[in-house]
Amino acid sequence: MKEIFTMWRHTQMVVLVALTAAIYAATLIPTQFLPIIPGFTNIRPANVFPFVFGLLFGPAGAWGSAIGNLINDFFGTLGPGSIGGFIGNFFLGFLPYKMWGAFFRRGEDMEPNLSSGKKVVVFIAITVLASAVCAVWIAWLNDFLGLLPFAALASVITLNNLLAGVVLGPILLLVLYPRVKRWGLLWTEIMVPDEVPAAGAAFLGNVLVWAGGIGGLIVGLVLGLGFYDQGLAAAGFATGAAGLALGLIMIPFLALIVIGSLMLGGREQVEAAEEDAGHSRVR
Amino acid sequence: MDPFLYLDRDTFVHRLDPRTKMFLLVGAFVLAFLFLNPLYGLVVLAAVLAFGALARSLSNLGRIRFILVAIALVTTALWCIFASGETPLFLFVELEALLYGIGVALRISTTIIAGMIFLSTTRNEEITTGLVKLGIPYRFAFAVSTALRLVPAVATTGATIGQAQRSRGLDLDEGGVLERVRKRVPLLIPVFVSTIRSTNIFSMALESKGFGASPTRSYFLHLEMTRRDAIVLVVVALLLAVALYLRFAGYGGLEGVTR
Repeated sequence: MKEIFTMWRHTQMVVLVALTAAIYAATLIPTQFLPIIPGFTNIRPANVFPFVFGLLFGPAGAWGSAIGNLINDFFGTLGPGSIGGFIGNFFLGFLPYKMWGAFFRRGEDMEPNLSSGKKVVVFIAITVLASAVCAVWIAWLNDFLGLLPFAALASVITLNNLLAGVVLGPILLLVLYPRVKRWGLLWTEIMVPDEVPAAGAAFLGNVLVWAGGIGGLIVGLVLGLGFYDQGLAAAGFATGAAGLALGLIMIPFLALIVIGSLMLGGREQVEAAEEDAGHSRVR
Repeated sequence: MDPFLYLDRDTFVHRLDPRTKMFLLVGAFVLAFLFLNPLYGLVVLAAVLAFGALARSLSNLGRIRFILVAIALVTTALWCIFASGETPLFLFVELEALLYGIGVALRISTTIIAGMIFLSTTRNEEITTGLVKLGIPYRFAFAVSTALRLVPAVATTGATIGQAQRSRGLDLDEGGVLERVRKRVPLLIPVFVSTIRSTNIFSMALESKGFGASPTRSYFLHLEMTRRDAIVLVVVALLLAVALYLRFAGYGGLEGVTR
């Protein structure tokens, strides 16, 4: 994950953080008045941006998504729940580029476009996962703070993210990728291999993030909706502490997401981009 | 379009250092979260509103009134469903669950109003400089500050593109909510392209002005903690200490609710 810190060395990446955050906030604000759960989430077609920002601009897209969502909260819903929104939206932009490399072998075409059926399937899979991870972070923190029930918030956020990502994501990526590539603004073209960690155990990391994201969502929904006796979930806690128990039970899943992310690389994508640029120069 | 809440007034609160106002904001969050009993929640809300009146920033309540009313109704309804209590009230709703819902709705409304007062009395530049003074890395603060300043520009670009599409016959205001959202989707691509293509020029302009050339830098905006800030910080700290004492003494809780 060191690239999320080393990227700040590059002025272009700093500018991309600012611009992506501004785009995300400016397109989110007009839909604040179309709430699904007022004050917490609304109809957000702009949620397609974190997936696209993440794939094209890497860590700059992740930071931009997090900051953009925070600025959207500045419009009138700033509160402790904004911390969950910051983290959740960071992962919404972080996982697309981080997971992308885990699905392709070295030497295989791993450009972040949708030029093959496999890439379309990978994009949809990553959209599903990132949507769930974002929802788990936000719903967990809000439930832990006693603001909103996990089940209500997690299900709405997952669906909201998923619809925007799956329906609009491929269209945006098809139109935008060639332009961003032509302008030399892909994160793999700006950063150098030394600034990005190599994949230690990409397959295991991939599995852990899926287990943390999808597993956390399912377990949280099962507990939150009362399909499973919360008496056991709250074992050891005083009456009325089932919410606290849910908050604690989710911590291992959140830890799996973070640990899995640490195992994923990214350097292979930067090296592939360098090789590609080298071949282009030779030609 | 000005999406921001800042109100240019000359009040005691406006003149406070942004770091003091950040501490006040955190203090308001802590106060709101300490008490779940709606009666105590109302007292905290009243205190926050009184502070807002002192800052002459309550006119912004009008801009977020829809969100506040909707939050109150939906949060109360959701917790009536998801929480349970001991005293039946009507249908499946118990008294404790209803009180819990009202308590949480007050808690959320109080934090949002506190956030609104902070944003109504603190300029964007003050927020970012304050963050840097609190130890946030400059480049991160710069990105936040730049994004904040660019939001109106991007929104204006979106509006211009919308007008161009209207002149070609696209009716953005007809149809239901989903239909209007669907019609706005094609505007996302030109907004993205017109903004992102300035990245390289923006970066070169920054570097030509010495961005990142030196690890230490000077600021146009000078922040200084004054005696006024110290007095406010002491008063808020005392208020928090009293509130914590009351809470640990058993006041302001809500018994019999399970969530």
